[in-house]
Amino acid sequence: MLEPKLRDLIVQARNYARHKGTNAEFSLHRERSSLIRLGNSAIALSTSEELTRLDISVMQGRRVGAISLTANLTSLDQLKTALHQAEENCRNALPKDYDPIFGVVEEPIADTTGYDPALENLSPQAKADLCARVIKTVKPKGNYDFSGSWSTGSTEIYYTTTANDHEAYRRLTDGRLVIVLKEQAKKWELSVTRTQKKANEFDADGIIQELETLLPIYEQNPGFHPQIGPQKVLFGAGAIADLLGLCLWGGFIGRFYEEGRAFTSKNKFGDKIFSEHITIVDDPANQLVFQMPFDFIGKRRKLFKLVDKGVFAGMPYDSQTAAKYKKQPTGHDLENWDLVMATGTGPADLKPALQLAGNALYIPHLHYTHLPDPTRGIFTGSSRFNALLIKDGKFVAPIFSSRITDAIPNLFNQVIAVSSQAVAENVSSTYERRTPSAYAVPSWLLCDRVNISDVADSF
Amino acid sequence: MSVSGSLAAVIKEQLQRALDRGCSFADVRYYEEDSTQSLVLYDGNLEGNYRRFERGIGVRVLKNGAIGFAATADLERIPDCFDRALANAEAAAVLLGFPKDMGYAQPVHGTYKPPFQKDPFTIPLPEILNLLNTIDRQLNEKPVEHRMVRFHFQKRHIYYFNTEGSEIERWVMNPFANMTVMARDKENRTQRRSYDLESDGTGSRGFEWVENPGAFAVHTDRIKSELSQLLSAETLPPGRRDVILLPGQGHLQVHETIGHPLELDRILGYELSFAGGSHVKPQDIGTLRYGSDKLNAVVMVVENSPGTFGYDDEGTPQHQYYLIKNGILVNVLCARIDLSEANAKAGKKVVEKSGASARAAGFYKTPIDRMTNVCVEWGSDGTLEDIVKATENGVILDMPVSWSIGSNREHFHFGCEIAWEVKDGRRTRVYKNPTYQGHTLEFYNSLDMVGDRSTWRLVQVPNCGKGEPNQIMEVGHGVPVMRFRNVLTGEGR
Repeated sequence: MLEPKLRDLIVQARNYARHKGTNAEFSLHRERSSLIRLGNSAIALSTSEELTRLDISVMQGRRVGAISLTANLTSLDQLKTALHQAEENCRNALPKDYDPIFGVVEEPIADTTGYDPALENLSPQAKADLCARVIKTVKPKGNYDFSGSWSTGSTEIYYTTTANDHEAYRRLTDGRLVIVLKEQAKKWELSVTRTQKKANEFDADGIIQELETLLPIYEQNPGFHPQIGPQKVLFGAGAIADLLGLCLWGGFIGRFYEEGRAFTSKNKFGDKIFSEHITIVDDPANQLVFQMPFDFIGKRRKLFKLVDKGVFAGMPYDSQTAAKYKKQPTGHDLENWDLVMATGTGPADLKPALQLAGNALYIPHLHYTHLPDPTRGIFTGSSRFNALLIKDGKFVAPIFSSRITDAIPNLFNQVIAVSSQAVAENVSSTYERRTPSAYAVPSWLLCDRVNISDVADSF
Repeated sequence: MSVSGSLAAVIKEQLQRALDRGCSFADVRYYEEDSTQSLVLYDGNLEGNYRRFERGIGVRVLKNGAIGFAATADLERIPDCFDRALANAEAAAVLLGFPKDMGYAQPVHGTYKPPFQKDPFTIPLPEILNLLNTIDRQLNEKPVEHRMVRFHFQKRHIYYFNTEGSEIERWVMNPFANMTVMARDKENRTQRRSYDLESDGTGSRGFEWVENPGAFAVHTDRIKSELSQLLSAETLPPGRRDVILLPGQGHLQVHETIGHPLELDRILGYELSFAGGSHVKPQDIGTLRYGSDKLNAVVMVVENSPGTFGYDDEGTPQHQYYLIKNGILVNVLCARIDLSEANAKAGKKVVEKSGASARAAGFYKTPIDRMTNVCVEWGSDGTLEDIVKATENGVILDMPVSWSIGSNREHFHFGCEIAWEVKDGRRTRVYKNPTYQGHTLEFYNSLDMVGDRSTWRLVQVPNCGKGEPNQIMEVGHGVPVMRFRNVLTGEGR
């Protein structure tokens, strides 16, 4: 559980609020983060942050006000002052035209299964050693430069409200390593990424091997300009996670759906919206993701189906949208969903997938995606690392940076085959708070007639 | 300096300890206050109503050519924070590339306070909400289906100390305001028009700016009217045509394809694994033709901008300098820490001094190269109407909907809220869902008309994201109306 002194302070503040007749939610976020950043084959930066943030939200009738404090929490008076400020914000707020939903922790939760002290305390030296091994092994083999980052840390989340005495607590560790190899004259870039929940989940040898598998194709072949227009594309896991995120934002945000701003707004549950190859769920029990057990109105999170074999199966609602549109909240008052795209029946390995693809583009990562027209699910983004031309079932050349501008419904209706192997893709946001988040996706997805809208002269 | 004497003493003692332990440089930023207030009125409902307060200290040390950083909100543990920063630097030195070097700077003693009369954090909440509500009511009429008005205020009080003896006290005051209206068109596709609080670069940065009806509220009728026109408009047909960017769109074009690729840390490859690199190489500085002769990009010190802050987070005073002069790349956005590396890699001196671009988004973030006020100078091609009159076949574009840029900023794709077709020198009709794409150098070399001072607006960007750990920074862009020739617009499919 949370450090007793801190927990006692929050419980005392909660009881104080309850005694006053104030409806208050208390949410604590505590992180111990450290990061090394690589640049020019060296460590460019090494950081560590220890931060505690307390959010207090107060609701009275249809009025809501909140305050957030990033500080060292040491006294009840400090918390009372923050509570009073949230109360004042609430008192002065404009009333909503609906009855907001107040947070209630449905059942006590104390989840530390995802916590590994060894990862929390992984030293910068240990990170430097692994990176040095990769760099010292691969760098002499060409005109290469390395960059990247390795972020590790622990996150504690604690939530309680004046509705009852229940407390929801979670402590977990996470890490993400990215190593980028850049050829300094030809300017192409390769990338290897690793997601971790525990220390020692990967080693330098695997990273070296992954880079060395790709290097001959890049070294021995000039860049290829794909034709603008429809192309068969074999997406890798990173790109699939990006597409999944775009699908979520374009089609599965309850408010956008209700307001007619989602590409699913014209549909009702039961409609076939994607190819039968596509099944998407939010599954906090999936072993590959970070498994957030509760949300920030205290709901126990459960399996939630969005798309079942291409059929529109459900729409997630946060509490605000649910209250506004008279729906039930679905456990989605949080940023870090545990999205899972189901695997298919295709071969697990990439090699047979290439043979299945025949002649196609391999795009394992998408860079800088956006949705120019969410109501149609139109997205755009460009290929970046490790993107290759597939000819006669084999990788034959790197491709220049190619822009895809297409619609998610088009893409997910043109699926040819899906890998039977699931992998984790770390999609953690590092904006402001440490928020471990990963999607479980097939290791590859083969789609036909993907629209390539532009090709650059660089990689 | 009004920081408490005991705290200043502890900080100075620890800075000396860092020197004693072999550091060549160390600095401290103490955020006595970092406050945010965010208010969001969506369809008349107050969906966002929060205040945030942060206080803490960030320590950066340079030892054996490597940087270590640590932060804490616990002011009782400042020595421990220094120890962590030192340990981080020592670990980084194990895998050292080009040794980091701050050079030498004279100690700076100074204060900076942006111009403002009314501190938003002292205005009673009902008064602020009354203004939000008034604007919301003005937006609430057909055909608007959904509407949003947002105020976002920031106030910071920061002290800076370093081992060179610099001591700086500064304040930040940022008011941001935005209004958006939305409705579905005849094809059931959502259209929107919006307006962000902007200026001509002058004026003050307090609540008085937001509440001035001529600055913000005045735009309600215009965006409603333009939304109405969008609802019956056709989609912009694909094709090559001239593009006239209003500042509402031009600022993001400049941000993404001049600002980011000219950040020295991107040029040197330090952002590769996350944000990306740059098509610019160190040796390009001073020689690369970035755009036509009409292109003059300047880092300005603008009176009223979130990109004006007096001194950067290494203590360098802000100053004005060209990035691109008459189309030639002449300088980049840089901090002290990377100057020697850039010059070494270029094989000649390409950067003389810090561009005061070292900025951190909070006490727990380390300074990195950021934009400040990356502006395009106004030109001599007249008003917007003069440029329209000179255009045979083009579109005027305003306000971004989407943006997607190549990893080295070499190519881009933008979606905008609205387009006005220009045929034979006249605006003829409105188009919806306009997009355009291009390649950066080719695009800027097609710049052939630059509007005069009357077209120049300082647009505030509250959410520039960069770095690992990620940082959201506030920047400003002053841009005039600009015309680019023969640009690929619309979607072919």
